Amino acid sequence: MAAIELTGLTKRFDDVVAVDDLDLTIEEGEIFGFLGPNGAGKSTTIDILLDFIRPTEGTATVVGHDAQADSLAVRQRIGVLPDAYHTYDRLTGRQHVEFVVESKATETETDVDALLERVGILDAADRKSGGYSKGMRQRLVLAMALVGDPDLLILDEPSTGLDPNGAREMREIIQQENERGTTVFFSSHIMEQVEAICDRVAIINRGRLVAVDTVDGLRNSTEIGTTLHVSTAGVDDAALETVRGFDDVTSVSVDGDLLRVTLRGGGALKFDVLKALDSAGVSIEDFDVEESSLEDLFVRYTTDEQEVRA
Amino acid sequence: MSWLAVAKKDFRDAVQSRALWALLGVFVVVSTLMSYAYVELPEFFGGPTGPSVAGLIFFMAGSVSLFITLTAIVVCYKAIAGERELGSIKLLLALPHTRGEVLLGKVLGRAAVLVVAAAIGLGVGFGVGFALLGTIEVVSLVLFLLVTLLFTGVFAAIIVSLSATTGSTARATTLALGFFVVFELLWDFAPLAVVYVVNGFSLPQQMPDWVFLVSQLPPTSAYFSTLVAVLPESASAAGASTGAEGIDAVYATPEIGLVVLAFWLVVPLAVGYHRFTTADL
Repeated sequence: MAAIELTGLTKRFDDVVAVDDLDLTIEEGEIFGFLGPNGAGKSTTIDILLDFIRPTEGTATVVGHDAQADSLAVRQRIGVLPDAYHTYDRLTGRQHVEFVVESKATETETDVDALLERVGILDAADRKSGGYSKGMRQRLVLAMALVGDPDLLILDEPSTGLDPNGAREMREIIQQENERGTTVFFSSHIMEQVEAICDRVAIINRGRLVAVDTVDGLRNSTEIGTTLHVSTAGVDDAALETVRGFDDVTSVSVDGDLLRVTLRGGGALKFDVLKALDSAGVSIEDFDVEESSLEDLFVRYTTDEQEVRA
Repeated sequence: MSWLAVAKKDFRDAVQSRALWALLGVFVVVSTLMSYAYVELPEFFGGPTGPSVAGLIFFMAGSVSLFITLTAIVVCYKAIAGERELGSIKLLLALPHTRGEVLLGKVLGRAAVLVVAAAIGLGVGFGVGFALLGTIEVVSLVLFLLVTLLFTGVFAAIIVSLSATTGSTARATTLALGFFVVFELLWDFAPLAVVYVVNGFSLPQQMPDWVFLVSQLPPTSAYFSTLVAVLPESASAAGASTGAEGIDAVYATPEIGLVVLAFWLVVPLAVGYHRFTTADL
């Protein structure tokens, strides 16, 4: 059974298409990153999963239940850290978690203290959340999401408001939960965050899915894997032909004595290229390797799309 | 029982409202002064037969309903619209509650807050009154409190339901205050104005019968009529009347108050429920 299955999911607000014909399957046990710039439709999609809003067309199935018709069964079995939420200022952290325990009526006893300890706010448990910092609130809501060992965690921009240390702790908790068999679906507009822990990633832009793949798959699928800048004492056409002959070389350009070679993927290929140049009699004075990060890729996916559509 | 968790959470939250306790403070002072004035200055405030428990109840009813109306607005107007505007509703509805359960839990939680405040205010006010009178009528008092409890629940339901129709606190404020202005301040004048115009810009000797029915529509009128219906002897002893006498119609009885209260309990909730369940949050 898939943890989340979206079929032709579409949401229109008046004349704006927030989510456009989304098809996506998240398998059980995955850590799945849902990436896109702000306003791409990530939160709208998550809001549909939680039945905060209703799709214009298409369906969403979450932990085996229809997200709209059977939303209560869905929400019983998932934990949520929403985006742009607000805690109850006049209630303490402990009261928030207790409210979740009561609402879910979990069969197993929930150790509220242990949960608050785990997210690192036990010492502030009896203070009102109105006095919490943004990071503390984020930790509190994470604790609320973890109540009742959910089958699926839906985290919308989980590291918002956290310092680097807090973001690392958040990642650790996500990984621990995943090791216990929890599927994790989280959104982010920062590639770096998903790169580290995700099994698979979807990139969404302007409501449309532009890529779904593993992190490595994404890296390899693009023609701008690695760019090699080589300063030479002069290049002849024969040497260029040799370099162009490599299967994974996607482009070669010359600017005076400066050679620019783009390669698909990374690894040892760049050395093969350098060796080939050397054997062809090219004198290499210096070289520089530029690995495209997923960040570049993300930017490329999301800006190209925008240009095409604009 | 999901609504119970919501009601408990909401009670804990709303009971900490500073405005609520400020209003309660004012009400405690007012109800104490009124009790004192009623008992000690019978020539001004007492009924034709002098101060009595029945008289005290009807003497206080007006200020009780005003207090409950105002506190209900203060405590309830943001109940749902505020959560939607701020985003705390996302925490609430990420949990397994239906929107109907949320609405019910909100009404009950906020009504419970109002009941606690009213109990304190009435406890002090009537306590002083009974102490000064040196007598107490348990049955009348219990009936009065039950009707007041019903009225409190109805008014909480009205304001929470209005709050459920919108995601904007500004609009929720307008709706709550608008309701108060229309039904509590202007309502009595509207039928008069209509009669005045229809009658050729003068008031007739005898008001048409329908004016009575229209005048019963505000929740506070219904509260007063219900009190008269439930405590007929006290009402006549206190000289309290709904104005139904002399009108020959089925509806011209104080019991109309209960029907109107039922209307105000059901209709706003139905509208609020419909708007809330169909809304994109």
